[in-house]
Amino acid sequence: MTEPAQRALLPAGLRDILPPEAEFEAAVVERLMATFGAQGYERVKPPLVEFEDSLLAGSGAAMGPHTFRLMDPVSQRMMAVRADMTLQIARIATSRLRNAPRPLRLSYAGQVLRVKGDDLRPERQFGQVGVELIGTAAAAADAEAVLLAAAALAAVGVSGLSIDLSSPRLAPAVVAAHGASLGENKPLRDALDRKDAAEVSVLGGPAAAMLAALLRAAGPAASTLAALAKLALPPEAAAEARRVGEVVALIRGAAPELRLTIDPVENRNFEYHTGLCFTLFADRVRGMLGRGGRYVAGESHSPGRGEPATGFTLFTDSLLRALPAPAQRRRLYLPSGTPAATAAKWRGEGWATVAGLDPVADARAEARRLACSHVLTGDRPQAVE
Amino acid sequence: MAANEKLVLALPQGRILAEVVPLLARAGIVPEPEFDAPATRQLRFATNHAGLDIIRTRSFDVATFVAFGAAQLGIAGNDVLMEFNFTELYAPLDLGIGRCRISVAEPADLIAHDDPVRWSHVRIATKYPKLTRRYFAARGVQAECVKLNGAVELAPALGLCRRIVDLVSTGATLRANGLVEIERIAEVTSRLIVNRAALKVRHEQVSPWIERIAAAARAARAA
Repeated sequence: MTEPAQRALLPAGLRDILPPEAEFEAAVVERLMATFGAQGYERVKPPLVEFEDSLLAGSGAAMGPHTFRLMDPVSQRMMAVRADMTLQIARIATSRLRNAPRPLRLSYAGQVLRVKGDDLRPERQFGQVGVELIGTAAAAADAEAVLLAAAALAAVGVSGLSIDLSSPRLAPAVVAAHGASLGENKPLRDALDRKDAAEVSVLGGPAAAMLAALLRAAGPAASTLAALAKLALPPEAAAEARRVGEVVALIRGAAPELRLTIDPVENRNFEYHTGLCFTLFADRVRGMLGRGGRYVAGESHSPGRGEPATGFTLFTDSLLRALPAPAQRRRLYLPSGTPAATAAKWRGEGWATVAGLDPVADARAEARRLACSHVLTGDRPQAVE
Repeated sequence: MAANEKLVLALPQGRILAEVVPLLARAGIVPEPEFDAPATRQLRFATNHAGLDIIRTRSFDVATFVAFGAAQLGIAGNDVLMEFNFTELYAPLDLGIGRCRISVAEPADLIAHDDPVRWSHVRIATKYPKLTRRYFAARGVQAECVKLNGAVELAPALGLCRRIVDLVSTGATLRANGLVEIERIAEVTSRLIVNRAALKVRHEQVSPWIERIAAAARAARAA
């Protein structure tokens, strides 16, 4: 027999969310979805579990190590619990919605499960809220994703937002132009990821000087773009850099106050991305609030015929850490016997009503016990404190 | 982590600190006098810069403080970085101090009839269980690690296990305990480490310190 206290133990990385946080989380998610909806993004809802070979095909393979699997007793095939929703949305867009007009704007909110938490997020289950913009390679689409993320975060009250842009194909293009492959040089990739300039100069070979310059260029958007412009980048890398500049100009035009940084070599957290990417940070929050960027949608279902896409994902758990504590809802205690119409009237005025079920001697004390801010005395709410 | 809050630089206690302090002095960072008081119980120290404080912790904890953003900058050996493999850390600078290596060692009398190619499983006492498991897994050997926090060299003589993975600088401690270094896993030096979010969000404050310390490290090497 498990003792009651032990029965409350949850597996590592899973937790109960209690009042008032649970309601607050739901409200934040709804406000984000409303911002997305107001800009033409329509909501879709994929299932929690899919067949492993479709969820983890193609670019989904990067999520393989994070994914829970289970056997489907019905089909006798392996199923996987989603560890990320972007690929599900891409699947919907390129299968059931393949005839919908492009560019296709979809939004989603749901929970994901991962086999292991990471350093900053021990949670194995958390919420993802985001959008995907599918079927366009336009720079305006990249800018729209960044601006929409900033607008949605501002709408829920995030302050001190800082957006870091990166271009995961820039460094590989520099290495490729010198006749090598960054993908095959894991020690060099690791050194770039650590920003270890000394190690990069040893491992970089002929590309070392330019990689070092890319590392040094990271910083506020304006200074990074100036530094990139001075480099004699190989044509493919120069195109990537120009694209970053183009998107920055579009973002600046629409939101001049937005804090933008550029890190030309950043590659972490971009498991399946292929073009301009971004990470969302905020003052006082130790990890990222979300990330997004360009990828190829539907590549796994019809190789070579994938569609250019971009989008972003916000993590609700990190997001809630960035927000001030929710304002308590006004709760009004209604002594037993209060007519239903009276209760409805106060609810209509924005109160949460808590009905007394039995007569009590001291309604005010009872209200306080039930965490009500006010008690209905006569026909007026009266503060209990 | 507001823009006007102080930056915190985490330093490791012990052996490396004696090399770190002169390097910081070259970079123009001087801690308050209490820092050098041998019996001090203080853990956080002001410096000659109003925007920079220093904390002193165990070397393994430096990486943890910085990875979680409790400190924005730190100095840690790459042995510690390899053990934790934190994704939230950047290690932009090799300071060239605290030079040593991390190695596998075993008793001298074991070497004669030991062929590492035949290993499928080894038991190893170490402060670095994750690094050790990864190193052996990469060559197809399962390492069962006994985690110790110090005096690792004692383990073979007392029969805890036959092999150890530990830091070696001169090799004197190994010799004194009848051990021989048989494989080098990696060269170790101290690195300047930076919290990922801090470098992005507080770039204007953090990056000048990286440049100053880099210049000081270059100057120290040239001297």
